[in-house]
Amino acid sequence: MKYFFFSLLLFTAAAQATQALTEFKSPEQRALFKELTHELRCPKCQNQNIADSNAVVAVDMRAKTLELVQQGQNKEQVLDYMKSRYGDFVHYQPPLNKFTLILWLLPALMVCGLIVLLLLRRRADRGAAATDPDDKTQSQPEQQLEQQLDQLIEQYRRKS
Amino acid sequence: MIAEYGQLALTFALCISLALAIVPLYGSFKGQQTALQLGNPLAYALFLLTAFSFWALSYAFWANDFTVVYVATNSNSLLPWYYRLTAVWGGHEGSMLLWLLTLSGWIAAVALFSRSLPLQFQGRILGVMGLVALGFYAFVLFMSNPFERSLPYFPVDGRDLNPLLQDFGMIIHPPMLYMGYVGFAVSFAFAIAALMGGKFDSTWARWARPWTLAAWLFLTLGIMLGSWWAYNELGWGGWWFWDPVENASFMPWLVGTALIHSLAVTEKRGTFKSWTVLLAIAAFSLSLLGAFLVRSGVLVSVHSFAADPSRGLYLLAFLLVVVGGSLLLYALRMNSVRSQARYELFSREVLLWGNNIFLLTATLVVLLGTLFPLVHKELGLGSISIGEPFFNQLFYYLVIPFALLLGLGPWVRWKQQQVKPLLKPMSLIAIATLILALGTLATLQSVQANLALLGLLLGAWVGSSAIFELLQRLQQFGSVKQGLTKLNASHFGMTLAHIGFAVLVIGVAMTKTYSVETQVRMKAGEQVELAGYQFRLVEVYPLDGPNYKGEAAELDVSYKGDYVTHLHAEKRFYTVQRSVMTEAAVHARLSRDLYVALGESLNDDSWALSLYVKPFVRWIWLGGLLMALGGLIALCDKRYRRRVGDQKETTELKDTTDA
Amino acid sequence: MRKLAFFIPFVLFIALSVFLFSGLFSNPMERESSVLDQPLPAFALPDLHQPEKIWTPDSIKGKPLLLNVWGTWCVTCNAELAYLTELREQGVMIVGLYYQQPVDAAFGEVFNLSALQQEVTLKLEQQGNPYQWNILDKDRTLIFDLGVTGAPETFLIDAQGIIRYHHIGDINPQVWQQKLAAAYQSLQE
Repeated sequence: MKYFFFSLLLFTAAAQATQALTEFKSPEQRALFKELTHELRCPKCQNQNIADSNAVVAVDMRAKTLELVQQGQNKEQVLDYMKSRYGDFVHYQPPLNKFTLILWLLPALMVCGLIVLLLLRRRADRGAAATDPDDKTQSQPEQQLEQQLDQLIEQYRRKS
Repeated sequence: MIAEYGQLALTFALCISLALAIVPLYGSFKGQQTALQLGNPLAYALFLLTAFSFWALSYAFWANDFTVVYVATNSNSLLPWYYRLTAVWGGHEGSMLLWLLTLSGWIAAVALFSRSLPLQFQGRILGVMGLVALGFYAFVLFMSNPFERSLPYFPVDGRDLNPLLQDFGMIIHPPMLYMGYVGFAVSFAFAIAALMGGKFDSTWARWARPWTLAAWLFLTLGIMLGSWWAYNELGWGGWWFWDPVENASFMPWLVGTALIHSLAVTEKRGTFKSWTVLLAIAAFSLSLLGAFLVRSGVLVSVHSFAADPSRGLYLLAFLLVVVGGSLLLYALRMNSVRSQARYELFSREVLLWGNNIFLLTATLVVLLGTLFPLVHKELGLGSISIGEPFFNQLFYYLVIPFALLLGLGPWVRWKQQQVKPLLKPMSLIAIATLILALGTLATLQSVQANLALLGLLLGAWVGSSAIFELLQRLQQFGSVKQGLTKLNASHFGMTLAHIGFAVLVIGVAMTKTYSVETQVRMKAGEQVELAGYQFRLVEVYPLDGPNYKGEAAELDVSYKGDYVTHLHAEKRFYTVQRSVMTEAAVHARLSRDLYVALGESLNDDSWALSLYVKPFVRWIWLGGLLMALGGLIALCDKRYRRRVGDQKETTELKDTTDA
Repeated sequence: MRKLAFFIPFVLFIALSVFLFSGLFSNPMERESSVLDQPLPAFALPDLHQPEKIWTPDSIKGKPLLLNVWGTWCVTCNAELAYLTELREQGVMIVGLYYQQPVDAAFGEVFNLSALQQEVTLKLEQQGNPYQWNILDKDRTLIFDLGVTGAPETFLIDAQGIIRYHHIGDINPQVWQQKLAAAYQSLQE
């Protein structure tokens, strides 16, 4: 089992160059090509990336991506190239602008909002449980009693 | 004639659903026993009629009755019999009939298993479900009739089932999925019935919980099967695409999980009531939203059924009535319900709320990612796409705090937890986590492994915490052996489901980090090496199947010279639908999958092949399976089978750490 | 205050429904063109019937024209040929950009220019010839740079060679009246 795991490292050095369908100058280029073909969307398909689609435009986009990557362009450049021809639609990561900011902002707000909601609700629940919601001092002896009760319960459970 | 009987049965079922929608509800408001008691027989009748109708459609497929339009569009005489039967749910109309069958099944189940419910409450539940059913039966009969005939003309043979669907996964994925989606209608009905009555005692939560668990476990299985099926069928080793239809099933799952946990709080402590009710409404609403998205043509998806704007309109109107109506009822009625409870900031209540925070934010992320492009476009801002990069990024951030809380949760008691008693077990778990995670990575000798490390840490944290907590709990009964017989099923279910989640996280992280692939050209006899495995192409030969032709490739795989397995990959051309399908060869082990897909034939007698080694990918589905199994075990807890009026109504004494 | 908070889910749902409703009437695959108000991309492609003649952006500037992407393999394109020919007779200048489908070397297919020329001539004789001339985009380079995803698609280009309109789909009387006619007329001035 261990030896299997060792060999996972070997993949980058694996001698497949003579038989690979496409040649890359470096494993980084190969990885970039794979990343790009998974992040670029086929503009004519029913929601597929260009790696998975066989539509003519997807094949053309793949060929072009290959060409640009082999020329040494980076991810930014290839994406810009594609977007300037096919629009933002063709990248599966939405652009970051003041309209799309909401995509990241709303979830963050939700987390904060739900935390606040918990604190408010806890106060309301606690208030409803006590006879006088605004009188905090009254809850003290109640709390002590509850703590004693909890301790008794704990002892009882340990014994049983 | 059978098809006509099927349609007739469906028509009767529509009338029954109308009666079911009106009679028990009327009885519940007027206090009329007979009306209330009619609920059960109506429910059973609905199911029997629908089952007959479904059988009739299946028969039409079996018998190759191409005068029925739906059969002609989705089947073919060359199709093997088992696919002819599953083709029943291969298209929109038939899948809606499956939806009806599932819905009537759940309604009948509620009628059957609710002896301990007060009759008035049960009547309302059946009534609400009857209303939902009414909308769907009308939809199918008037807008998506599977029994339509094309007589006097009819095709000699059918257009065949989409080859993508001709797979074992197709046989079982949709039924499981629908059992889940539709099953949330039960907890929805519980919530609405309770809103109608205005009473929300903790027994309400105890009754609702097993139904929610059941729906949830089916949905878990359904989603896992879909993922496994895509992996096997689509030919490039992917198992989740964040496709709108997948998202449509994921959202109810996320909310359903939050609901189960919120129900725990309401059941045990009588608080979070308004939240639980809202979640119950939301889970089913998301199921309905999913049905709308998939069938209306609003979103682009490889999965969507043929779009029809008029169907979309109906479904949207239905959505407005059901969801809008229930949210309005919620707003008007929930206000008068007050919860009372005290709990410290460090308590199980708060941790379960934490669970909800991240599950619901995840739901929001999926909802945004799925629907924001539509909103963006309708606002005139242009077309954008939201896909994998966005979802992966946000889920990466959300899963970390979620898993951390999950590891802590089972240790924390209701109401109040002192930190000191937890220090020792938590430190032990932390140590175990580090050992397991770093140890696994050390054997991999991996340097660039951020995602894998994170996944291993989180998974080990959750998994070892669950196991330690269970052991500690068992020991409290005197000895582990004694504990095994005494500890309630809920607790075992919880532990198993949490372990399942840990396994899933590890699977996802490891497979994403360490999967390798290569696309090569090979002639017979040649060999390629990938990740220590030698793949040798033995031969490629032509195929002749029942409704397809193509090529098959045979490969021998060795690992460092030792023979591992023989692989058989195919490329099929389905003659009727004229589409090409790749049947990938998969050799599955828990540690890794070997995956080979046969590509194009190249001009010098060589073939294009895609080879993959995917470590830990089985853990993903194993994790889902364990979660579903955990849900099943929790369902079997004795307390759900206790009748009303039995002794020992409570539990605050015994179960300070219980699920 | 608490009372109002319970209405939030309802309000949010109604807001969502509004978008779902409007989504029912729009085409989710519809995409705006990324090349509007930009000059024609650089290209140097041969004429389909006279391959020695090379067309460039400069050589087709001068008059507003419709650049129509089409192919004999495309059924919809064949259907619009008749109406486009009518437009030609009315004085609209139309240039064809021939979309050559990929040739699959793996199956031993080769690109045969003379066969293609004969096919095109035959088709245009049958359906009508709207084209002043046809540019052959054998490797779909200009087609790619224009952001074309299929055929038929048509570009309205003004006298300075700036792309003014990108229409996806066939051109029929309604499309012409509602979308393109006015734009074309205004460019004439």
